Amino acid sequence: MSDISKLTELRKLMLDMEHAMGLQELSTVERDVYYAASDCTNASDSVRTNRIREHAIVASMSRPTFFRALKSLVGKGYLEQSGSASRGRYLVKAPK
Amino acid sequence: MKKLAVEATAVSLFYLAASFIAFAVVMPVQQSLFPGLENRASLLFLPHGVKVLSAWLLGWRSSIALLPGVLAVFAYFAGWGVFAPHRMIAVLAAVLVPAAVFYLSKRIGWDLFPKVGRRPRWASIMIVGLVISVVSSVLSNLAYGNSPQNYIAYLIGDFFGLFFLCLIMMFAFRALRSMAVPTDR
Repeated sequence: MSDISKLTELRKLMLDMEHAMGLQELSTVERDVYYAASDCTNASDSVRTNRIREHAIVASMSRPTFFRALKSLVGKGYLEQSGSASRGRYLVKAPK
Repeated sequence: MKKLAVEATAVSLFYLAASFIAFAVVMPVQQSLFPGLENRASLLFLPHGVKVLSAWLLGWRSSIALLPGVLAVFAYFAGWGVFAPHRMIAVLAAVLVPAAVFYLSKRIGWDLFPKVGRRPRWASIMIVGLVISVVSSVLSNLAYGNSPQNYIAYLIGDFFGLFFLCLIMMFAFRALRSMAVPTDR
């Protein structure tokens, strides 16, 4: 596991703590999409939407629900659309 | 090897910072509120949180990563006496027990280590943190020959140390998120 993914794991754990304490700002669906994106990404690489869609956590999610959650996560600053020419790529934002 | 050195530096620095807060900030307040408690038993022992979270993230590598920090804290209080048998038992308990408990829980079918596709459960980490605290404090207090009152003080300190460290990190991550500028779509 890379250093960035350790930070991501800590971040996921803190999200679960927020959820347990009723302080969460993400719905369960958004959290699952975020977890899936975190698992699919490597260091500073972006991840394709299709790869996130194939992740086991979100595999049973309907397409509209998945894309709504993806859009919401970008709006909330958890994911960032990759600056490259290719659309459908996202960066998982890690604490700096 | 380089990766292990980076992990040891980071984990030990966090351990030293958490120990500084526990002994230089929390302890004076605690001593004025509970003068009857034994000096070293902090009721908010943040280093326990560092031990638990590093063992969760790094597994056995956390034992090596924690060793410099734990030894430095023991040496600060005991000087060369850190190498006395009872203190070495306490040092070994501090660095080995956290990872051992996580591996033991994995052996009995409760695998909590981070893994692709697995949702981390904060409550489970707290429960394992409590078990680590019980085992560590029993071993340490047996080595030191402390009174039962201090067992309870260590358990309370470890539990609240892990809880408040998680709480501090949770709010730190929230603050970082709120500082992030959302992308315009």
